[in-house]
Amino acid sequence: MKGSGRNQDLTLSQQLLFLKANPAIGGGGTVRANKLTWQLPIQPTVLARSYLATVTYRPGQMPDVQIDDPDLELLADGRPLPHVYRDPLRLCLYLPGTREWGARKRIDQTVIPWTYLWLYYFEDWLWSDDWKGEGRHPGDEPEPVGNRALRRALA
Amino acid sequence: MNQMLRQPLTDSDIRRRTQIFTILDEIGEDLDLTEAQFDRARQSYGAVGDWLSGSTDPLLVSVLVYLQGSSALGTAVKPIGRREFDVDLICFCAGISSGISPATLKAAVGNRLKEHATYVRLLEEKKRCWRLNYAGDFHLDLSPTIANPLCINRGELVPDRALKEWHPTNPRAYKTLFDERAALRPTFVGKFIAMQRDEATVEPFPVREAVKSILRRIVQLLKRHRDVFYENNTQDVAPISVIITTLAMQSYAYCVRKHVFQDEMDLLVETVRMMPHFIDRSIVDGRQVYAVMNETTNGENFADNWNKDERRAPAFYAWHAQALSAFEALRDAVGQDRLSLNMERSFGSGVTGRVLGNRVNAVSDGRKSGLLSVAPLIGLTTSKVAASTTVPTNTFFGDQ
Repeated sequence: MKGSGRNQDLTLSQQLLFLKANPAIGGGGTVRANKLTWQLPIQPTVLARSYLATVTYRPGQMPDVQIDDPDLELLADGRPLPHVYRDPLRLCLYLPGTREWGARKRIDQTVIPWTYLWLYYFEDWLWSDDWKGEGRHPGDEPEPVGNRALRRALA
Repeated sequence: MNQMLRQPLTDSDIRRRTQIFTILDEIGEDLDLTEAQFDRARQSYGAVGDWLSGSTDPLLVSVLVYLQGSSALGTAVKPIGRREFDVDLICFCAGISSGISPATLKAAVGNRLKEHATYVRLLEEKKRCWRLNYAGDFHLDLSPTIANPLCINRGELVPDRALKEWHPTNPRAYKTLFDERAALRPTFVGKFIAMQRDEATVEPFPVREAVKSILRRIVQLLKRHRDVFYENNTQDVAPISVIITTLAMQSYAYCVRKHVFQDEMDLLVETVRMMPHFIDRSIVDGRQVYAVMNETTNGENFADNWNKDERRAPAFYAWHAQALSAFEALRDAVGQDRLSLNMERSFGSGVTGRVLGNRVNAVSDGRKSGLLSVAPLIGLTTSKVAASTTVPTNTFFGDQ
């Protein structure tokens, strides 16, 4: 994301505009102090609960997704949640250091659809104890080597 | 037409409940005989009919073999713990007077079957009928009947359990009545309003077209719930299928004619709720007497055993109460996990796992092929919906 591509990164205001304009996505948010905050209800399917999610994003960092309500750990009833970062609890939606996410990409077209997907597999996992959304955990092979974003994610 | 007073449903409720019924429909389909199984059963009983007709025994000069029971009605349910379906057949021996003893007629049918090189190996004698075991697939239970001269409805007579007397029955008229009631079309007011208001009543994960009538699905689901409810009970008091089927068809016909419904789940729950009202209860000599009469002939009380074994009526009411609350819980479930859990409890883990697994696979396949998107109001979908956002490729990551 460095060098010639840098000027194609989306600004926070552009991200905000796309979020507001996307008819598939609800909620509302602001850009303040160089930080984008967008809170939205997410019901992964008509059968699922309606969750309240908050996306926060600062340029140069990874967008964070937290579920404000209901409490995921209460729902998990003591089982360790799959595919999350901790302190604070955030969803791990993509593999850092790949092209899945980048500052040129739109949050409304990546992070938020992935949150739908995460919550969908989460509710299935609650019942089946089997995460069917695949993915990787740190230490899985093969591991992208020497990647700054990855190291940061693990830190 | 009355509309029962209930909380108005939101569009989101209607969408949720419509989906729940779709899954129940898929469960019913999974539990049903497959088309191929049904074809094999049909071929087999056709051949049995031909073989019996070819007999020189005067008792079997005019034999008609036809399907009865759940495979005839379209309400068959995969048994728990074994692979063979029960396929019930009537071997109607026309022109035989009721002076003949049931044991004699049954023996004549059995003797003819034993003359066949294949049937003699598959044959097993049961109390009232002959069974042909097609291992791993189904077995055919063949009950001999004769015409019932006293029935104005062209009914028949079937041996009783002791093979001593003839009992009235009328499988053909029963099927006709069931088919007529199954064809009654309910009025769904809530769903209709929601569909007018909102274009997003698309099927989020289209797998197949619903084909069966709602009544057939209700009967299948109730029978399966009964099988699961009584799975570990050794007392042999579970309500028999014909009682469940008869009460359900009477209740369904009553509900559909008298009421309008929000949606399929509303109809399903009300049909289950009303079933006990169609049991005749009277006091005879100070004793409670139960009757669930066959409406298509005189003198066949499907609940006869309730009056001989006092555990049976309470067993029915206990199961019914449980079934009603189970279907209410399914209707009201919010959260895929809660719905899945309720389905597993009601119908067993095997069928629930298969049906819900197929749905998760549809999402995962859509995700891999780039066909999965997020649409307004319905969320994730593999249908093409206006204003939707495609879900791009991702790899879930993070701590374990």
